[in-house]
Amino acid sequence: MNKDFLTAAKSSLLSCSSCHLVTRKPQISEKSLIYCPRCGERLYGRKPNSLSRTWALVIAAIVFYIPANVLPIMTVTSMGTVESDTIISGVIYFIETGMWPIALVIFIASIFVPVLKLAIIIFLLLSVQIKSKWRPKDRTRLYRMIEAIGRWSMVDIFVVTLMVALVKLGSLADIEAAPGAVHFAAVVVITVFAAISFDPRLIWDGME
Amino acid sequence: MTEQHNFSEVPGDAPEAIMKTGRSFSIIWVVPLVAVIIGSWLIYKTLSEKGPEITIVFETADGLEANKTKIKYKDVEVGLVSSISLNEDLSNVVVKAELVKGFETYLNEKTRFWVVRPRISAGEISGLGTLVAGAYIAVDPSREGNSIFSFKGMEKPPAITGDIVGSRFLLYADKLGSLDIGAPIYYRQLRVGEVEDYSLDEDGKGLTINIFIHTPYDKFIFNTTKFWNASGIDFSVDANGLKVNTESIVTVLLGGIAFDTPINFGSTQPAKAGDQFQLYNSYQETLTKKYRIKGLWLVRFNGSIRGLSYGSPVEFRGIQIGQVLDIDLKIDPNNLDFRIPVLIEIEPERIFKAENIFDAADKRKEFMASLVKKGLRAQLKSGNMLTGQLVVDLDFHPDAPPQEIVWSDPYSELPAIQTSMEEIFKTISNSLKKIDKLPLVEIGNDVRAAVKNLNQILIQVQSTMESINSEITPQTVATMEQATKTLAEIEKVINNDSPLNQEARNTMDELSNAARSIRVLVDYLERNPDSLIYGKGKDQ
Repeated sequence: MNKDFLTAAKSSLLSCSSCHLVTRKPQISEKSLIYCPRCGERLYGRKPNSLSRTWALVIAAIVFYIPANVLPIMTVTSMGTVESDTIISGVIYFIETGMWPIALVIFIASIFVPVLKLAIIIFLLLSVQIKSKWRPKDRTRLYRMIEAIGRWSMVDIFVVTLMVALVKLGSLADIEAAPGAVHFAAVVVITVFAAISFDPRLIWDGME
Repeated sequence: MTEQHNFSEVPGDAPEAIMKTGRSFSIIWVVPLVAVIIGSWLIYKTLSEKGPEITIVFETADGLEANKTKIKYKDVEVGLVSSISLNEDLSNVVVKAELVKGFETYLNEKTRFWVVRPRISAGEISGLGTLVAGAYIAVDPSREGNSIFSFKGMEKPPAITGDIVGSRFLLYADKLGSLDIGAPIYYRQLRVGEVEDYSLDEDGKGLTINIFIHTPYDKFIFNTTKFWNASGIDFSVDANGLKVNTESIVTVLLGGIAFDTPINFGSTQPAKAGDQFQLYNSYQETLTKKYRIKGLWLVRFNGSIRGLSYGSPVEFRGIQIGQVLDIDLKIDPNNLDFRIPVLIEIEPERIFKAENIFDAADKRKEFMASLVKKGLRAQLKSGNMLTGQLVVDLDFHPDAPPQEIVWSDPYSELPAIQTSMEEIFKTISNSLKKIDKLPLVEIGNDVRAAVKNLNQILIQVQSTMESINSEITPQTVATMEQATKTLAEIEKVINNDSPLNQEARNTMDELSNAARSIRVLVDYLERNPDSLIYGKGKDQ
């Protein structure tokens, strides 16, 4: 990496994230907060407390991920038979009935992606904290990826929501959302926030 | 790239940012805190709601599914089957289930589990709901007994579950008939209970049937109540014609029990739950008394027992108190003495009624011993002069030589006195001897002579009759002919157109004319009495 690259941080400049006004960073203590003189937006060289925030959200997501998988996400009442399915049991059900594509979609959207996301964020956080100089470009690419795919985990929640709304046939067939769905939605939302709160510039800070 | 190197000019143009002091603690840590709180609450809830885990053994797992089959009480879900497996020798199915928290208080030795499936029997159709929703396990909770977590599932639903109020009674029967679990019990043809269970007695000599009578009908059971088997149809033919008796069509198909309390000498008190009764085979049988306690005794007779048979009555002063069960012939090889042991059955309840004093066998033995001491002896007596049937008669013979009961196993021996029958035989043989002594030949001769005389008399009578026939009969015929002629003459004389008749009619005419003249004369005299003196006047 070329150390001669000019960065805003090096030249003590700040860019407003709202009106994009470039300002000089005042010479004050770290604890003071600084604001854009034009639009009043809060200014920061790096997202404040990015690491601790991201850690907090990641931990919260991991905690919620346990009930999301243990508790049933959907309760199907059909002809008097009540069946509660967790995410895993749903996947297994589809595999057993030979519907591989659906099982694959559910598996990728509901199990693979959230786990991958959490793993990538944890990896990025750790690499930043030890100031790793390992392939910053690839790590940035990983970050862009989790930002992009994060929301697709909501597919499961959308399916449950649609089913609950559509299948209301009284005692013949009835579908209800189970507590697992709430926890799963929490996992997805929190990981999205975690991805946002992570500042990818920290990856490059380690290079300087 | 040149501009990149001239960056020193840029800061001069840029305005300075404003500063404010802020907090050092990031609020974001609330999020994982909340997550942890929710997570631990879920863990606590799951653990605290975990109910008892039980094992139920069934013969078959037909209709049961792990994680799907529910355990229900009064159709309320109280548990879920968690696993189904076979036991080691593959003879049964072991069902593991998790019940709701708090149900462990109802898991006791008396708690029963059974699978509810659709069932169609003669009595009812049940469990139709399970056709659609699948079978479930029903539970009949109980608070009695020791707490256990392993159960033997019932294959059939119990007739009576713990939440039904009523009383249980025991019935003793010789045979089960067509009764089954759930068979109805009728009181005045109203269904008041069910057969709950039955079992063969340990000695195999009878059956014990557990019945359940619902409240408030259980108050109609008294110590004198008679139960009878009302199964099937009871046909009887008598002078009034054919009679068909049945409790209900269900009893015809399924069998059933009926009961009633007859009015009799016994004192009638309400029965307590668990009381024991005799089950009679029919209503007719309830009218004859039947007894449960039976004392078996041995009586030995020396003489002939011709006329005594199985079932012959054992009587006390003419009242039957038992019967003969068996008759044997035994010889004593030492003195070649033949003895006939007779096994009799005495029903002490016939004497002591419902008193329970003699329930214990020891007490009955003691009592019998004291009776024997007082002179009780068995004796053969003639029961029927015509057929020559014998009865074993028990009575007091205070003059009899003292004897005691010979206690032995299996049957103890009651002392018997032989005299009665032998005396009879002696008398009979004496009579025969007397008959032998009679001058039968002479009597016969006399009779023969008498018969000869009689014969002669009869011959004479016959000849007399013959002479009557030959002599008197023709005369009689002639007389009769004569009489006929005479009667014909008479008839001619008195005929309508006979001269005699004519004459008579003329005479009568004359007579009536004369009478008229006299009436005229009397008339005239009445009106003219003086004409008697003055004679007939001339047209007054």
